Amino acid sequence: MRYTAKRFLAGILLLFLVSVLTFLLAELAPGDFLSEMRLNPQISAETVEALRTSYGLDQPLPLRYLRWLRSIAKGEFGFSFAHNRPVGALLWVRARNTLLLTTTATALAWLIAIPLGVWIASRQGGWTDRLSLGGISVLQATPELLLGLGCLLLAARSGLFPTGGMVSLGFAELGFAAKLRDLAVHLALPAAALVLGSLPILLRHVRSALVEVLDAPFVRVARGHGIPRRRLLFRYALPAAVNPLISLLGFSIATLVSGSLLIEIIMSWPGLGPLLLEAILARDLHVVIGCILLSGFFLVAGNLLADVLLYLADPRIQTSGTPR
Amino acid sequence: MARKSQSPRVRLWPPAVVLAVVYALAIGADFVAPYDYFAQNRSLPFAPPARLHFVDPAGNWHLIPFIHPLVERPGSYGEYVEDRSRIYPLRFFLEVPSGQRGFQRWNRRLFGVDEPARLCLLGTDGYGRDQLSRLLYGARISLFAGLLAGGLAVALGLALGAVAGYYGGWIDELLMRGAELCMTLPWLYLLLAVRAFLPLHITPVEAFLLLIAIIGLIGWARPARLIRGVVLSAKERDFVRAARGFGGGDLYLLRRHVLPQTFAVALTQIALLVPQYTLAEVTLSFLGLGVAEPVPSWGNMLATLQQYHVMVSYWWMFFPAVALIGVILSYHHLATVVQKRLGVVTL
Amino acid sequence: MTKTNRTDGEQRPDRAPELLIAVRDLSKIYRRAGGAGRLAITALDRVSLTIPAGSIFAMVGESGGGKSTLARCLALLERPDAGEILFAGRSHASLSRRQRAAVRRRIQLIFQDPAAAIHPRFSAVEAVEEPLVIQRWADRPARRHRALELLAEVGLGQELAARSTLELSGGQRQRVAIARALAAGPRLLILDEGLAALDLSIQAQMVNLLLKLRRRYALTYLVISHDLRLVGHLADEVAVMHRGRIVERASPRELLTRPRHPAALALVRSMPSAGGAKRG
Repeated sequence: MRYTAKRFLAGILLLFLVSVLTFLLAELAPGDFLSEMRLNPQISAETVEALRTSYGLDQPLPLRYLRWLRSIAKGEFGFSFAHNRPVGALLWVRARNTLLLTTTATALAWLIAIPLGVWIASRQGGWTDRLSLGGISVLQATPELLLGLGCLLLAARSGLFPTGGMVSLGFAELGFAAKLRDLAVHLALPAAALVLGSLPILLRHVRSALVEVLDAPFVRVARGHGIPRRRLLFRYALPAAVNPLISLLGFSIATLVSGSLLIEIIMSWPGLGPLLLEAILARDLHVVIGCILLSGFFLVAGNLLADVLLYLADPRIQTSGTPR
Repeated sequence: MARKSQSPRVRLWPPAVVLAVVYALAIGADFVAPYDYFAQNRSLPFAPPARLHFVDPAGNWHLIPFIHPLVERPGSYGEYVEDRSRIYPLRFFLEVPSGQRGFQRWNRRLFGVDEPARLCLLGTDGYGRDQLSRLLYGARISLFAGLLAGGLAVALGLALGAVAGYYGGWIDELLMRGAELCMTLPWLYLLLAVRAFLPLHITPVEAFLLLIAIIGLIGWARPARLIRGVVLSAKERDFVRAARGFGGGDLYLLRRHVLPQTFAVALTQIALLVPQYTLAEVTLSFLGLGVAEPVPSWGNMLATLQQYHVMVSYWWMFFPAVALIGVILSYHHLATVVQKRLGVVTL
Repeated sequence: MTKTNRTDGEQRPDRAPELLIAVRDLSKIYRRAGGAGRLAITALDRVSLTIPAGSIFAMVGESGGGKSTLARCLALLERPDAGEILFAGRSHASLSRRQRAAVRRRIQLIFQDPAAAIHPRFSAVEAVEEPLVIQRWADRPARRHRALELLAEVGLGQELAARSTLELSGGQRQRVAIARALAAGPRLLILDEGLAALDLSIQAQMVNLLLKLRRRYALTYLVISHDLRLVGHLADEVAVMHRGRIVERASPRELLTRPRHPAALALVRSMPSAGGAKRG
């Protein structure tokens, strides 16, 4: 457990380092939020300078960094020039939307991948296996970009799903059940795109983990005892195959915030993705850093969680000390 | 259920040939592409792919296929019909009226039709630019960005991983912490972030080189870790110790004994990373942060699909996506073959 | 600038035997940082010994006793944590980098597993050539010639020279290893269980070869083995190592007839009788 605490601290240190680095990078970058404005002939140079002073952009770098740190302590995470409010509030809303999408998609993906992976593994070597592997390969080769565009096309052509956004106009007036339905209908396609994107890797891992276990002696013995197939697969084989899957779960958690970036942008889901892109195009520094830190935090937390789960699940690791 | 699955014999040449052809086409775009990538034709926006015919309206059979020029259907907007009264056969090794193009010194192109007809085998975009030509020119950008970035990342990873593994000590610690840093953050985020801090308006050439540099500088981490592992175990082998006993210096040992053992891993990493990096360029250009108009990249070609009417009505604009999937599949296949042949185990 | 290894094989006139190597209070500790705690293994614990030039010195003991570590330290392939090694009077710590490289060449290690000790892709003659290549000795034809000469000396004919080491038998591989060691121009040859993996009859041949080479090149041997019988045949002096320390030092006859330390006793007891089937 001391080991986990050490890793946690190391993670925090890492995030801190990242924040310093990004600030430095921003310093090296030519221009800032107000450079675009300066190009506009209608706004006088004095106005721009005045704005600069009021935003505190003319302060030396270390001072700016300290101010930013202080605002983190206040929960504000800096100030967004484009949206004219503290970054924290912005992040919170968008992060909530992103997490809604990604947790749904991740849960769905795992719910599909485990039984499907088990089934494929049990048909190992047959034509089902080979067909599935082929399909998985093609799906894996399809970039997320295209999955998103494809889903969008489906929405446009079929008319069954909305082509963007999280809620319809007039959402606030709907009753509770109708609200849920509206949300679900908007959620469906982005989630589908994400599920399709993550299925190949999940399926591969579940399948290979199970295949290894199915070769093990204790499974053969169980078969020899005549234990029915389904029970064998799910009660005997699956629990033994759990270790690599736990690491994978950690990875899924780690990418909860960052994995949906592209899909959100393509399908106009109001999450962190579009926020980040806007901020980049507008050179809204604090928002960019806020997004990076948030996703970094989730990554560190996810990996740590995976370690902890692994530790709890595998008694062997507990006795011999956590492997490095 | 107990039998270990036999995967089908994978052969090296199919994906290698496909990739070689694709890259050759990209290099030779000046010759193969019927038109320049910036050549507009405002009278033919979003025209569908041209149809090649062998039989003319009179019922005669032609050996060399021909096309009927497209004209707008009278009374409609954006709809095209073929003008059956005119026939333009395919011509090969056409002369280009305006002198040299790009790299090539030879002012001919592989195929095309006489003016004023346009041969657009993959249709046109909103400015009437031939999509096939843009696909080929775009391949130069996207494919080579991926290739160069992959090469850079693996080269860096090889150098740094070998140094870390061979010398150990504080260099090792430092490099591995750095690698962890690069690997901790999600790479798309990292890419976007680094791109964010660089000037937004840069020329396409600058963008191209910048992209390669950024991706390579972030992507060195994974190959470096793997190579470090190989070097660590190679260093301990007896024959390396023996060579040291003969007075072999570090450079000799690295060159003759240690590095050759890393080549298998390096090759596999290249086969795995190049498609990823190609995709990275496409994604960045798609988002508007990469190579900008008018220089085509498969990314900014796909960006037009974000417009509703384009996506719904003009299916030929999806071709860069098809090409991309094909390239990625070939690389994955190649990576599998390389792994099997060289007996490499990757994470 | 390498001297070729020919000597006239004469015995030196009466003189105090020259000390080739002296070891004083050598210690080495392996630390392994693990997740759960740090493990420290004492491989060598204040080891001292002297090896006179031209002798055959043996080190015996059970596995893990520290013998291989000592061999590697002597060959300057690993750095001891404490103590010093004197090469003809000069301490290892005082050597410059070039001097260290020169000393390394003079002390050659023959490993236990010849398959691992020779690069699998090298042919026999290439393997023997390698020390010459590293030292940039003469030119390519001369090196090839010398390598073939050495192979012939250890009993491997020309037809085997081009074979890769994977195609050779265990005994042949060890011969290649010995020829390679000779190419480096050594004065001390350390055999780290070099004969353990071979059949008895081959072992006998190798012993004869080693004795012949010793006379020819005025070599000193340090034989590390757990096989007391072999040691009994070869050595002038034997030291017993147990858990990183030297616990007994005697002539072979003394050791075999009157072992004193319990570890030595155990070793002698575990020795099968002369006619029995071998291997511990």
